[in-house]
Parts: sequence; structure tokens; C-alpha cells
Amino acid sequence: MSTNVIEASGLSKRYGSTWALRECTLAIAAGHVAALVGPNGAGKTTLLNLAVGMLAPTAGTIEVLGGRPAGSPAALDGIAFVAQDTPLYKNLPAADMLHLTRNLNRRFDQDYAEARLGELGIPLNRKTGRLSGGQQAQFALTLALARRPRLLVLDEPVAMLDPVARHDFMALVMTAMAADGVSVVLSSHVLAELERVADYLILLSRGRVQVAGEVEDLLASHRVLTGPAAEADRYAERLRVVHARRGEAQAHLLVRACAGDPVPPGWEAHPVGLEELALAYLRESGAAALPGPARSRNAEPSEVTR
Amino acid sequence: MSSGQHLRVSDAEREAAADQLAEHFAAGLLGQAEFDDRVGRAMSARTRADLSGLFAGLPGTGAPAVPELPRGGGSTPGGGPGSPIEFRLDAASGVPTYLQLVHQVEHALRLGYLKPGDQLPKVRDVVASLAINPNTVLKAYKELEVKGLAAGRPGQGTFIQATLSQVTLPELAGLHKSLLGWLTTADAAGLDEDGMVALFTSALRDFYKRRGDTGDRRGGASGETEGVA
Repeated sequence: MSTNVIEASGLSKRYGSTWALRECTLAIAAGHVAALVGPNGAGKTTLLNLAVGMLAPTAGTIEVLGGRPAGSPAALDGIAFVAQDTPLYKNLPAADMLHLTRNLNRRFDQDYAEARLGELGIPLNRKTGRLSGGQQAQFALTLALARRPRLLVLDEPVAMLDPVARHDFMALVMTAMAADGVSVVLSSHVLAELERVADYLILLSRGRVQVAGEVEDLLASHRVLTGPAAEADRYAERLRVVHARRGEAQAHLLVRACAGDPVPPGWEAHPVGLEELALAYLRESGAAALPGPARSRNAEPSEVTR
Repeated sequence: MSSGQHLRVSDAEREAAADQLAEHFAAGLLGQAEFDDRVGRAMSARTRADLSGLFAGLPGTGAPAVPELPRGGGSTPGGGPGSPIEFRLDAASGVPTYLQLVHQVEHALRLGYLKPGDQLPKVRDVVASLAINPNTVLKAYKELEVKGLAAGRPGQGTFIQATLSQVTLPELAGLHKSLLGWLTTADAAGLDEDGMVALFTSALRDFYKRRGDTGDRRGGASGETEGVA
């Protein structure tokens, strides 16, 4: 069946005395757009840098593209990475940047790059630093895609872009996925944006994996219950509450429950969206939703706390 | 009407139009707000006509002077050649993206925009125009296949193969009229718009619950309630 594009086991990274990532265990199957979400300093960039082999783990292992050790030549051949803040040599004209990238890479599809840049209308004689923010991002992405990767890794790709540039950027990523079957792993703060693209979610908090799973499964296994605040505590003991918001009279409980589970009398159940789900977990760093089986050291189904 | 006004425009043409607007702005012919507005419209322009409309009241040719660009095949955004419809997304509706696509196809079938034999937009084109995950489009098309409304043809795309049980137009008009009668009564009783929607939705839900008609019907109805709320 499908291979895993990233598989980490007990992966940890320490800078000095600070753990940037602790015992991270996860497996992302091919064919997804996996979104890495978490507060600043949660370890997103560290995890991505470990995956592309720019960092070496302190402990644990990370493999990519079906068992190739991250950073090995076999792994690097199949991965393209666009780091934060659009890494281009800003003083080089676009044509020279293109030439340089072609010569620095074992595999580079010059025809693809030229066709894309033509479509994007990027002036090749202009210094890359003089291109608009959107064009710089599109240019860096085009160079990455011209390596014809099987896995595209993007660190905060749209944070600096205006809405139109953001849309165009993601459209190019999604087209590469539709046309060439590229798998995508990206980190982002823009939760609303992820709602349209991500079908796999990894939530990192303080260096640990808090939530991991297919978006569809996560949404199906959570819902919001709305009812009288006076009864909230009573149900909170019995239901697996991730996050509770309550007013004087009314309370909203985001709980782990399936669509078929009974709703307490007098309460209403609503489906939950990706943004609402991610926010709830981000606010409750103690809660966790991890796939049950095949997780190391987690024989019990994951504990959910409040 | 000059030739080519209906032609789709490329990013290069949008850029050129924006550059030209910037010149007018620099020359003091446009205020800041007007400039921002027109550049925004330039960036979302679809046809030559959209672009030339941006230069209303400004000196010059009326349309940006850009060379005719040969269009690469297959890069047409949206519905593209071959499909009569184009999808849109409402992020605020709370309805899952794939369901929005399913609903729009059903809606187009009901209103006659789509007929059996028509092609649905190609996955690549939908993805390029909406910037959504291709798996979402595939899921929507699969759902339409399960419902028997569409069928995939290998190497060609997905095509409509059935129509939704159509109510005839005179019948629709009659139903519309009786609903207007009900709305008038509700209005006279002092119900406001939200109250009417809430009452209608709850009656609809009761109706189907009593008929024991669950499944996809309920899924659709609950999605629509979300949009209203």
C-alpha cells in the first residue's frame, strides 16, 4: 500500500539544555497535505529541518519516503524544501538564481521551471529581491518543484503573503499535487487557510505531538455540545471534554465523541471545523488526540485531560 | 464592442493593468482608495472587458497595451473548456468543502445548468482555481458517483449521467406562491426573517424525522442550518 512520507520514532532534538522536540512519534502517509500547527517555539521548524536532513536528531529516528534515513542522498533526491522567509539570493537576477539552482541540483527540470516562470510572468532580468513578495514565494516554490520531488516540505509558506498571493501560491502547490502526486508537509499559523487544503493535521505543543491524524477522522470524532451551564460540570466528568467555554447560563463543550453517540437531553450537538478544533487543543496543551494503535509507550488509548 | 473583450486574461495582463493604474495614481489621477479598489479588481479580473472597465474616466487607450499571449492548453482556470459550471467556495458557511461541491452540482442539476453527458470541471482546474486539496475534489466526485449522478470515464474526466427528479416549472411556481402566502401570514404574526428561517428549518427537520428519511438528506439539511446560524 502507500508508503509513509515521514515516519518518526522517539524523535528528540535538544539545543543546549532546551528540548525543542521530545519523543515525537508519528507517521504521515503519502498523498496527503499534512499541516503542522502549533504556537511559536513548539518545535515545528525543528521537526521540518530534521525531516529534510538539515538537523540531526539528539535521540530517536526519522525516515522519509518509505524508510530512507532523513538526510541520506536517497532521501534528499525525493524531497524539496522551501524554508521560512523565501530563501533566495536577493541580489541575483532571477535568471542567475535559476541557473545556480539548476547547477546545484542533481535533478532539475529546466523545461518545467521555464514554463512555470513564463506563466507566472516573472521578469528574469530583475533581481529576486526586487520581485514582489508573492513573486518571490512563487519563484522559490517553482525552483523547489522543478526538482520533481515526491515530497514537498514548506515552512510557513504563506505567512508574509497578501490574500491573492497566498491563494495563487497554494493553487500552485495543489496543482503539483493533482498533476504529479506530490505529497506535501507544511507548517502554518494561518488556520483558516489550512481548512481548505490540509487533510492531515499534526498539532505540536512544547516540543511534543499533541494531536495527529487525518482531518476527516479528527472532525468525525469530535463535536461541540451546547447546553445549560449548570449541568456542564456533571457531564464534564463523564464526557471526554477537550475544551469548555461557559457563560452564566450556557456552556459549549468540545468533546471527543462520534456522530452516533447519544446527546444528553437538553443539549445540542454541532459538528466541529478544523479551525475550531485546532484552537481548542492549542488552548488546552494538556489534551491529546493521537492515533490509538502502534504508538510507542502508549498502550492505553490516549488520555484526554481538561 | 472591440474584439477579444470576452477573452480570459493572464497574470501578465493583470500585472500590466496594475502597473498602468500605478502610473495614473502617481500622476494624481486616482485617489488612494480608488487606486486600491481598482488594483484589487485588476487582480481578480477574468476577462479583457473586466480589465478595460478599470480605466473608466482615465486618459489613455482604455485598455492596457499588452501583446496577445498565446494561451497554453489546459491552464484555463475554473470550469475550463468542456464544463458548463464553475465551483465557488463559501468559507463562512461551515459546510465541508467537498459537500459544497456536491451541493453545487446538485443545485446546477436542479436548475438545468447541467444535463446528462455534461463534463464536470477537471480536478486539476478546480484545484488551480480554488486552491483546495485535490483529494477534496475527488471525494466530492466520488460522492456524486455513489449517488448515481455522475460517472468517471478513465482518462477523460467525470460526466453527469442522471438528472435529479425535476419538479416542473409551473409546479415550482405554484409552490413558490404558496410559500409566499405562508411568509405573509408569518410576517403579519410578527415573526422576523430569522424567526421564519428557524421555524421553517425546525418544521423541515420534524417532517423528515417523522418520515424516517435519514441519511444524506439529513446531512444536507444540517449543513444548511449551519449556514443560516
